[in-house]
Amino acid sequence: MAAAALGWALRAARQVLPSPCPGQVRSYYVDWRMLRDVKRRRLAYEYADERLRINAIRKNTILPKELQEVADKEIAALPRDSCPSRIRNRCVLTSRPRGVRRRWRLSRIVFRHFADHAQVSGVQRAMW
Amino acid sequence: EKDKSTTSKGSTAEEASKRKEGTAETPKQKLLDIIGNMKVEVSYRKKLQELKASENKKQDTNRQEGPDSAGPQRTAEGIQRGKPLNPELVKAASAVASSLPLNKKQTESELLAQLRRHEETTDKQKKGETINISNVISEMTVKKQSPAQRAARISGRISLELDDDGQRIRPERFSSQSFDSRRSLKVGKRLNIFTKASTEPEHALKTVSSPTIWDLEFAKEIAAITAQPPRNGFEEMIQWTKEGILWEFPIDNEVGMDDGAEFHEHIFLDKHLEGFPKDGPIRHFMELVICGLSKNPYLSVKQKIEHIEWFEKYFEEKKKLLQEI
Repeated sequence: MAAAALGWALRAARQVLPSPCPGQVRSYYVDWRMLRDVKRRRLAYEYADERLRINAIRKNTILPKELQEVADKEIAALPRDSCPSRIRNRCVLTSRPRGVRRRWRLSRIVFRHFADHAQVSGVQRAMW
Repeated sequence: EKDKSTTSKGSTAEEASKRKEGTAETPKQKLLDIIGNMKVEVSYRKKLQELKASENKKQDTNRQEGPDSAGPQRTAEGIQRGKPLNPELVKAASAVASSLPLNKKQTESELLAQLRRHEETTDKQKKGETINISNVISEMTVKKQSPAQRAARISGRISLELDDDGQRIRPERFSSQSFDSRRSLKVGKRLNIFTKASTEPEHALKTVSSPTIWDLEFAKEIAAITAQPPRNGFEEMIQWTKEGILWEFPIDNEVGMDDGAEFHEHIFLDKHLEGFPKDGPIRHFMELVICGLSKNPYLSVKQKIEHIEWFEKYFEEKKKLLQEI
């Protein structure tokens, strides 16, 4: 499990073959924080079903309380990074944690840069 | 050809042309007066006349030989036909013919012939004796009733006993139900209301190349421009169905669901609850889980079954703990 995770991290940091697409070609993740965020997203995806089911047991009034306490302990035992609330919607290009527009997944600075160069479809400078 | 025709009718043409040049306005005025005086009923005939006149013009330019001999024949035929035409129409026809630059007599005779044809067709339609109906009647055959069925029908008519509901008691009939509506139920083209429409038209359209994005956009544009606001409730409902607000009837439970499994497999998940105890809070909890799953359109049937099985495993593991309680 640990070896697989390490191998995956290495592969992520390795260089990707340059694809014949115009514009920026990104071979590495922008920074380690972005890498950690990617790991968290992957784990959250893997454990999503279990978390949902254990939470369903925890958050109801029908089942006995002892069962719910056991479920509490179980969910705390899951890896910490599997929690979806730890995911931060960073900018895809600059890994900026704040000022990110969700629709484009870009930080405000990058968004402005591309919009001014007319590289964001359907976006125009507002004037009214 | 043209020289011959002109020489043979030199006199009449000259006269016509002289008349035309000298009193160019009066025939037109005459025509206009006649047309203006006509009532609304006859306006359609005027349009037809004009159409026929333009057709005649074209025909005349094409053929110049036949009309010379056919002209007097047609007039003779016209006289022979018994139905008298409206004198106003005749006047209008002559005025139209005089206004045209070509052979006056021939155009007039043609117009009158066509008028006569119109009259005949309209009379036929009024009487309802068009050929189509006679064809239909000839194709229909008389149905033979068995004496037993006939007796049953008569007895049914005579007895007017009423049930508690107020419906007539009828003697039990097995095969006569098909004759009740005077046509058997299995004859006739299927409307495909309750079965899915056949895929034949799709095959016919596949020969044409699939429309490009530009074609689709163009079609959408045209549809948007020509779209009128709905005139009545039916059109409103049609619009809503197109938008997706209203479902299509008869209701198809599997619209938008390409899972391959039937809709009842998604909803009736009770059979998977056999591994659970029949009483107690766990059963209650699982029934709620199943209720939620049945309303979930996003999961496939397999995922739902896995969900329920996970809970089964979980409660199996916790059995010891549960028995302590």
